[in-house]
Amino acid sequence: MTDQGSQTEKPRRLVLYTAGQTPKSLAAIANLERICSEHMPGKYEIEVVDLRQNPKLAREHSIVAIPTLVRELPIPIRKIIGDLSDEQKVLVSLKIEGE
Amino acid sequence: MALDAQTDLAELRRRLAEAEDTLRAIREGEVDALVVRGEAADEVFTLEGDTASYRSFMEAMEPGAAALDGSGRVLYLNSTLRELLNSPGDEPAGKPFVDLLEPAARAVIETLLGDAGNGRRSGNLQLPGDDADLYFLVSVAPLKIGTISGYAVTFAEVTQRVRAEAAEQSERAARAVIASANEAVIVCDRDGTITHANAAAAALSDSELVGRPFAEAVPLTFPDTTGLVQADDFVAMAIAGTPVQGIEAVATKASPVKDCLVSAAPLRVVGEQVSGCVVTLVDLTQRKAAEKHQLLLMRELDHRVKNTLALVQSISSRTLMNEDTLEGFHKAFNGRLRALAATHSLLSENSWTDMTAHDVVVAELAPFVPADSSRLALRDLEEQITPRAAIALGLIIHELATNAVKYGSLAVQAGTVEVSRVSMPTPDRHALQLEWRERGGPTVQPPQRKGFGHTLITRSMQHSQHGGAELLFEPDGLVCRISIPGDDVAKMHG
Repeated sequence: MTDQGSQTEKPRRLVLYTAGQTPKSLAAIANLERICSEHMPGKYEIEVVDLRQNPKLAREHSIVAIPTLVRELPIPIRKIIGDLSDEQKVLVSLKIEGE
Repeated sequence: MALDAQTDLAELRRRLAEAEDTLRAIREGEVDALVVRGEAADEVFTLEGDTASYRSFMEAMEPGAAALDGSGRVLYLNSTLRELLNSPGDEPAGKPFVDLLEPAARAVIETLLGDAGNGRRSGNLQLPGDDADLYFLVSVAPLKIGTISGYAVTFAEVTQRVRAEAAEQSERAARAVIASANEAVIVCDRDGTITHANAAAAALSDSELVGRPFAEAVPLTFPDTTGLVQADDFVAMAIAGTPVQGIEAVATKASPVKDCLVSAAPLRVVGEQVSGCVVTLVDLTQRKAAEKHQLLLMRELDHRVKNTLALVQSISSRTLMNEDTLEGFHKAFNGRLRALAATHSLLSENSWTDMTAHDVVVAELAPFVPADSSRLALRDLEEQITPRAAIALGLIIHELATNAVKYGSLAVQAGTVEVSRVSMPTPDRHALQLEWRERGGPTVQPPQRKGFGHTLITRSMQHSQHGGAELLFEPDGLVCRISIPGDDVAKMHG
């Protein structure tokens, strides 16, 4: 799930919170992989956290609804709730100023 | 402090926006699980319904089954379908379902998924199996799991049915081939018992063929093999794997008895194993009859050439004895050869079968008087006579015509000739009696001596006891009565 690109540019750190293999979780994983590889190849790190396996990890980012994607870096933290099927909305939220 | 207050306010706004976004996402069905803070620990609750129960239901199903989301991604595959798609190790969940399929199967599923919004759709596809392709009836139907709209896909295996249909079709085709064959076709099993026989084969026996041993059902004798070969021998050879080709045999129970050309070949249905034999019997009756006919014709030709040569030899020497000059001989001999040739031409046109007396008379008179001349009257001459009688009649008419042109009714303008069928008392009631009668010519005087012409006329028909010809020198005109023996009338005479 990790793809580290050029060392000169700081990669986006993304955490996707899922709940096992619920349909929305599966869709969110597939959509995120597709969007990142198409639009920012080599410039992202993804961590998928299965809250069904480990529910207490929800606290770190105060996760309520699943799936939720958290852009951890660069700050400020952004959250995108849902299965990430709206590609434009995802790109806007992941966009870094100056890019 | 003012800065802190601003920061707090911004933080509160951000939290509020996040809370509103969460509520909106829940309300609009964009999420399917929630984290609920319990007393002891946090717990995850899914909104998709009872996934465990639909998955165990899918596992219990006999057909391969897949649950897909609205965009065709795999939510769950039961183990039957995982094995079929040969991806037990990969985790298929979340992948587009069509990516798991071969291109041909993919096209079928894509079409079905495209249509399934309107209700259940079905199609057929093939998947590679261990030994051969497996056939499936695939059905795609809309499915609702909790908040999710997706598709239920089932793969029901119909390989056995497809194979049974193919086998039935090929069995039908094989039966049609056997039934349509002109030759007699008989199929035997490994014990030599007949399992199939067509109509041509049924005609070779006086009883039902199927279920009986070949040699008993179709008794054959082999005239050219000195009794060493029997019907069960070559059936056994074919079943043992050695084809037998083209043995001449006689089917003794056929009605009428038939000459056949028999062949037998091993029957291989699956692989190399022989499961019986196929016997074909070609009817040689017509060919045999043609061969016999040809042999007969050859003998006949030989016989006739010899007869003709003897006849020519005899005409030549007799003509020589009766003519005083070489010129006279030349003329008489050539005239008689022409007469013989005219009848031969007729015979050859008729393939040496019977012809009418009328044809012979017309052909022989042609050089002297045309058939439609008012000086010639031909009556009741339609009776058929044999080639032998035709040759004799030809020679007689030639002599009579030659004489009539020289001394008789055809020598003068007003003279006529009538050739007709007459009735005279005779012991041979089948004999054909003809009369040549001249009228209007010079008064007839009986000749001083009998020339060869006379001899030829009176002797020509005497090949049979009741055949013959007599000359009557009546003063009004020459009369000749010709009796063609009954043996030579209206039937083929070898």
